[in-house]
Amino acid sequence: MKRTGVIWSWFWMILGILYFFLPLVATFIFSLKAKLGVLSFLAYQQLFNDADFIKGFSYSVLWGVLTIIVGILIFFPTAYWVRIRLPQVRTAVEFVTLLPFVVPAIVFVFGLVRTFSHPPFLIVDSPALLVLAYTVLIMPYMYRSIDTGLRSIDVRTLTEAAQSLGAGWGTILFRVILPNIRVSIISGGFLGFAIVMGEYILAQYLAKPAFAPFLAYLIQQKAYEPAAATIVSIALTWACMGIIQLVGRGGTQPQIAGGH
Amino acid sequence: MTHLELTNISKQFGQTTVVQDFNLDVKTGEFVSFLGPSGCGKTTTLRMIAGFEVPTTGKVPLGDADITDKAPNQRNVGMVFQAYALFPNMTVAQNIGFGMRIHKEPESAIKERVTEMLALIHLEQKGNSYPAQLSGGQQQRVALARALANRPKVLLLDEPLSALDAKIRVSLRAEIRAIQRKLGITAIYVTHDQEEALSISDRIVVMFDGRIEQVGTPFEIYNFPQTAFVASFVGTLNTADAEVVDPAKKLIKIDGVSLATAEDLKGRKKGDKIKIAIRPERLNFVSVEKKANVLDCIVENITFLGSVVRIQVKIGSNRFNMDTFNNPFLELPKIGAREQVSCSHEAVIILNS
Repeated sequence: MKRTGVIWSWFWMILGILYFFLPLVATFIFSLKAKLGVLSFLAYQQLFNDADFIKGFSYSVLWGVLTIIVGILIFFPTAYWVRIRLPQVRTAVEFVTLLPFVVPAIVFVFGLVRTFSHPPFLIVDSPALLVLAYTVLIMPYMYRSIDTGLRSIDVRTLTEAAQSLGAGWGTILFRVILPNIRVSIISGGFLGFAIVMGEYILAQYLAKPAFAPFLAYLIQQKAYEPAAATIVSIALTWACMGIIQLVGRGGTQPQIAGGH
Repeated sequence: MTHLELTNISKQFGQTTVVQDFNLDVKTGEFVSFLGPSGCGKTTTLRMIAGFEVPTTGKVPLGDADITDKAPNQRNVGMVFQAYALFPNMTVAQNIGFGMRIHKEPESAIKERVTEMLALIHLEQKGNSYPAQLSGGQQQRVALARALANRPKVLLLDEPLSALDAKIRVSLRAEIRAIQRKLGITAIYVTHDQEEALSISDRIVVMFDGRIEQVGTPFEIYNFPQTAFVASFVGTLNTADAEVVDPAKKLIKIDGVSLATAEDLKGRKKGDKIKIAIRPERLNFVSVEKKANVLDCIVENITFLGSVVRIQVKIGSNRFNMDTFNNPFLELPKIGAREQVSCSHEAVIILNS
């Protein structure tokens, strides 16, 4: 009975691995077949020599970094304030943070275009609109990640301790609270970064250079390079996840001396 | 000299009044404890001094300044919390120097002060440790040093020992008191532990239901409780309903037995119903012939408490506890035995209802 259970466990695990990895392996092998008859990294060479790829990729990294910075500046003080001063609005704020899951990206982008394409908010051509839109997109991940971090420390007492020592709000936020939830912030940031790197609709319809629209263009034009770009994209996402895991391991120090 | 005043302080949360008619003068260098059960308003009062709560009415003058409306970070008030509240991302030395850095004091002065504080709390070797590497007692000592490093005008301690075990609590409270005496700093200490308050304070403010019940030295609070609540909350006390027999001779009676008290019965007349209290340690078994304050009793229970033996006796319809020091050569009465107990006139306390 026990042996049968173990066999079934292995069966489902192998099936899962095949389901997730087979397409990936197939794509990878396909990306190596650019040179006739041999496996090579030619598609990758051509990809990295393509100025449009470098441009799209660099811009996506730029948008990702800016989005994380804007996200931290908006969501960290908001989550902190809701926790310490406005706990009664927490449910409402949590609902708002989930809206990007509910509103389709295409609806969102047309809403943005309509709202910001005439005065007094004529910023549809500005990269700031794309960054702000990405900030909204990563809100569910980033806000929740920060909120979870705030839950893990005694925010109120740390705040009051800092206040009693003469600290103002800026010092409390960025020298006392933020360093103690850095793991959550970095996790949320990398998650957001991975999402921005793979985002297509916002960049495409706001007509800004980015990695995903380039990939879509590439698929229509070439055979092997899109497969190589897909592998690069997935490798980047995994790298982000790996960094989250690494940072998470070195999180807040556990109590290692006696409690009393 | 009065250092801190709380004048007509009250605090309401919505419709609930948490503190009312709170008036207190605290002298420079005095150690005052707020003692009371949970929900009596002691922590709220402390938080109003710290600036974390704004009084609904009243004023809080500290030294020459009125700090009632000042923000917590502008009061120069040191606070020690029950949960230590050390900054986990900073070392012990960084925690202690935090306040001085906020006030932009020179780095050399900070270093000197941190060294001085570490010596004061006997943790000279722990400057580079992180809070998580310290025990609870050590963390609370660091929290105390951090609060003191800024040279605050008043030190506030909010149940600082509650999270520690009994042995550490006793040693740390003595350490806190010694440091406070050494620095001559004014301190307000919140606790629900009467033993802690009695052992550490110059004066105790006993609170109940948002009001001050009694303010006095530990000796006064324990020996001369002015209200039934103080009598019941501080120490163990036997209380009983009594009747005034002769106010001039200070005579009362319990269940028909006359008792003399040393307290003034002026303003009361014969037949008035009153409440009296007697501490368990003031009752003794009658060993020689006595005429006054002798009560017949039946021994109902005997509890061994280590240094003390607590004997429960029934006197008329009242049950009294009496405490006697443990003596291995002393023969204790048997349960069910009929005995006589007595107490001095001074032991019979008249309680204000």
